[in-house]
Amino acid sequence: MTQAAVTTEQLTKFYGGRPGIIDLNLEVAPGEVFGFIGPNGAGKTTTIRLLLDFVRPTRGRAWILGLDTQRENVEMRKNIGYLPGEFSLDPRMTGRQLLTRFTRLREMDNLGEAPVLALRFEVDLDVPMGRLSRGNRQKIGLIQALFHRPKLLVLDEPTTGLDPLVQEAVLDTLRESQEEGRTVFLSSHILSEVEKICDRVGIVKAGHLVALETTETLREKQRRRVTLVFDQPVDATPFAQIKGASEVKSLGNTVTLRLDNGIDSVVKVAARYTLLDLKVERPTLDEIFLHYYESESG
Amino acid sequence: MRAKERDRFHGRQLRALLAQELADRWRSLVIWGLALGVLGILYVALYPSMSKFMEEYLEQAPESMRRLLGELQGPITAEKWLEMEFLSTLLPVALPLMVIILGARTVAGREERKAMDLLLCNPVPRWHLVAASTLAMAMTTAGVLGITWILTYAAVPIVGVELSAGRLAMALAAVWPLCLVFGTLALALSAVVRRSSLAIAIPVVILIAMYVIQALSQVSKTMEKVRFLSLLYHLGHPIGGDFPWTATLLMLLAVCVLVTAAGIAFERRDIYT
Repeated sequence: MTQAAVTTEQLTKFYGGRPGIIDLNLEVAPGEVFGFIGPNGAGKTTTIRLLLDFVRPTRGRAWILGLDTQRENVEMRKNIGYLPGEFSLDPRMTGRQLLTRFTRLREMDNLGEAPVLALRFEVDLDVPMGRLSRGNRQKIGLIQALFHRPKLLVLDEPTTGLDPLVQEAVLDTLRESQEEGRTVFLSSHILSEVEKICDRVGIVKAGHLVALETTETLREKQRRRVTLVFDQPVDATPFAQIKGASEVKSLGNTVTLRLDNGIDSVVKVAARYTLLDLKVERPTLDEIFLHYYESESG
Repeated sequence: MRAKERDRFHGRQLRALLAQELADRWRSLVIWGLALGVLGILYVALYPSMSKFMEEYLEQAPESMRRLLGELQGPITAEKWLEMEFLSTLLPVALPLMVIILGARTVAGREERKAMDLLLCNPVPRWHLVAASTLAMAMTTAGVLGITWILTYAAVPIVGVELSAGRLAMALAAVWPLCLVFGTLALALSAVVRRSSLAIAIPVVILIAMYVIQALSQVSKTMEKVRFLSLLYHLGHPIGGDFPWTATLLMLLAVCVLVTAAGIAFERRDIYT
């Protein structure tokens, strides 16, 4: 039987009376890219910190690659590459100096993948950290998580502060890691990023895992918001009759609605009038949460 | 076999961490060593003129003032002159401040700087961090005292003062365990209270209180009764050849207790960013 990369069993953390994460049962398979998404304070970072044994659970247990996160934490961390959501680097130290320190702690003979990653992410390892931009410091953080080719990558908001080109390079690197059989556990606010890379997604809200879906399923559940601007006020009734349309509102020359299906039927109805502008937006993460709750209550 | 490999791993880890801690602290070592060493030079250089002035002053000074300035019976020797302020007040009060800051930065300071996660995501047991920081603290303090000794004694032949190098070394060495007590107290507090400001403030207040007790006990009968509470009192007069062996051993024992407490507290608690 294949050993799961991450397993949690009733994993719970309370900070005083405030919940961090409650009764989390999760299993991430080896080679899977798993996205953990949710708003600020939902419990994503608490979960990651529990997995790394930075905080201790109020109850429940977790295993990384079959190792107990509390009792075998040192052995476990040999196999983990971690990027914290917030971190600081000694401004006088260069990336190379930092990585050299970490190679000694990991008993490595050289900088491993670091030079290749530095080229790929376009960052100079010989510049003191104090002279690097926030984005470049984030790249150093990513390199220190990846350079030793860990079996499990735990990344908290990995693309924060990165320009789109480097974001793409990071996602490519993670895909390659997956192709090599390594596992990625990432938390993110950026749904488009999660959609691009994750095989499966866990949605957490107020400490509870409210959904555990494949990315495909999540994508299907997304409803787009459509805004139509006409040259004069129009009757919203024909739009409300479109299959899959909801929350249809008319205000002045503008009609807004939410749509589950394709845009074709909306365009056909809109063509009866003089259309000045058409905007189709993907919902925010919060809107997806609302969709989940509506589905659950329905 | 597995246990042996584990022991070797711990040894290599500790050496790597210690090297990192020392690399982070060499600036403190040099700055404090130079600052205290220059002060030592100044005190030695001032001795010839100040000794005459002090002898004349003490002849006319009231008894309480003479007691405050120490046991200054007879001629003011270089040892007495150094002990009067530099060795009895300046060094044992100033140097623990550096060590307190080093101790407080180990755990709480690292968390406040958001530097703990990156370090501990490596396969580093938490107690290694406490042990390596303590060793680095002890070595840095010894280094500062060493530089102070070298610079202070370098002025002796230049000024033409009679001062035993061994006695000066003993006087400086007596301060080392005192510094470690305050440093490891700050370390233990930083592992418990999670705020470096508090981990600094509490030992500093204790240190100042001990200094006040020590100073007042020389002029007040009431304070004399409680002077045993001050570690400064227990330093004795090592420059006079009276090294405080018992106090040193007890202070080193206290250091071991505080480091163990710090290790246990840090091992059990959550790490925050």
